[in-house]
Amino acid sequence: MMLFSLIKKDFLIAKKYVLLMLILAVVIPLFMLWQLPEFAGILGFMLSAIFASFMLLQYVYQKEYQFSKAAALLCAAPFSRKTMVLSKYIFFIVIYMICCLIFWIETLFIYGLRTSNLRLFALTFLATSVFISVYLPVQYKLGYDRAKFAFIAVFMASPITLSLLLKTETLNLNFLSMISPYPVFGIVLISFFVLAISTYISMRIYDKTDL
Amino acid sequence: MSDILTVDGLNKSYGKFSLTDVTFSLPEGCITGFIGINGAGKTTTLRTLLGLSNKLSGNIRFFGLDMDKNERAIKDRIGVVLDDGCFYEELSLSEMKSIIAAAYTSWSEKDFKRYMDVFSLDPKQKINTLSKGMRMKYALALALSHNAELLIMDEPTSGLDPMIRSQLLKTLTEYMENDGKGVFFSTHITSDLDKIADMLIMIDNGQIVFQEEKDTLLDTYRIVKGDVRSLTDDIRRLFLNLSETAFGFTGITKQVSEVRSYIPDVIVERPTIEDIMLGNIGGER
Repeated sequence: MMLFSLIKKDFLIAKKYVLLMLILAVVIPLFMLWQLPEFAGILGFMLSAIFASFMLLQYVYQKEYQFSKAAALLCAAPFSRKTMVLSKYIFFIVIYMICCLIFWIETLFIYGLRTSNLRLFALTFLATSVFISVYLPVQYKLGYDRAKFAFIAVFMASPITLSLLLKTETLNLNFLSMISPYPVFGIVLISFFVLAISTYISMRIYDKTDL
Repeated sequence: MSDILTVDGLNKSYGKFSLTDVTFSLPEGCITGFIGINGAGKTTTLRTLLGLSNKLSGNIRFFGLDMDKNERAIKDRIGVVLDDGCFYEELSLSEMKSIIAAAYTSWSEKDFKRYMDVFSLDPKQKINTLSKGMRMKYALALALSHNAELLIMDEPTSGLDPMIRSQLLKTLTEYMENDGKGVFFSTHITSDLDKIADMLIMIDNGQIVFQEEKDTLLDTYRIVKGDVRSLTDDIRRLFLNLSETAFGFTGITKQVSEVRSYIPDVIVERPTIEDIMLGNIGGER
């Protein structure tokens, strides 16, 4: 109940942005279909999932930073710091699942995107989980303001890097086939393992933070 | 009367400031004022008690339970009003309530609605459109709607007009009519404590100066006024704080009979809490 309430809180404080992110999650695969039809299914979904997760979490942290004393009120209530940290990870998983749902619905109507399958969802979940597992502990350690610059620089550089890789034909999407022998369940399990380690680290950091 | 909160040897460093061996207790059924000037350590103490800041050492027990081992159960029994509310300002009152309410096992929607009506608050209103007074009332409505046994408030009356302060103090008095409750609130506006406090704890420079029943405290101290020419070094030592001008002296003392034995014609007045507070930190009236 408490966890649900904290996740609801994140959606409430980011509600202006949630709709925009949902629209982007719809549009990005379509844009990729137009620009890079060959990779539209895979890259379209990966980019939309990473973009939506990162931007929504970033917006939530912006609001947490803006109303930084609110966390003190929650902590003064019976919400534990551990639950507060855990809620951010679950929030990410919920966003990811919404992205999966949106993309799956798109594939029903758009033939060019029909490269999707459970394996793509699982692999993207692994990639996004690794990203979020670095992002959240850094956010807790450095705080919104300092972490923002570091991540925006990395994020902004990614499309340029991607296009350069595509031009030089060094981008190897065969990593999907490299991991393909692993069952979907195993990939999801690894993702949760990575997230669990990251959650533990974030909890340790947040536990020592003065609110 | 059992203690609702006991703090023993609390130490905490906060930049250049530190709480040093803070020790006090709150008896059940009392409104306890936590007084001190700005920067004395009131907020740091309250935040450390509530686990918002980590302590270096010390023992904190609410309702006889160790805070380190029973944090969640203890917080379920405490109502908290923090300075300036500490809300997500862009949410409506109803949205913020829905978040907070989920944390408490004994949340009473009926009580919340009653307080919202009493304070004339609109649940659909955004928090950032509330005045400071309305914000404090809303914070109080949240803090009092889960059958809290102890209400902890940080500077609740600071910056409020006399009308709202009076309403807030009335609400606290009504809350205390139920048995087994306690209120602990920090303030530097001591006139509010003159009206409602039973017990006073003073902190200065991170150290507890005194803990005393308000009436005992007011009976112990006296303001003494007299001719400055009557003062000697021995008499000066009887005062906690003394201000001298060409026209006379004004001082605060706990030894009024000794002062009178030296200077029989002094004027003796009953002090306010503010006089006692300033007397103990060497400030002037």
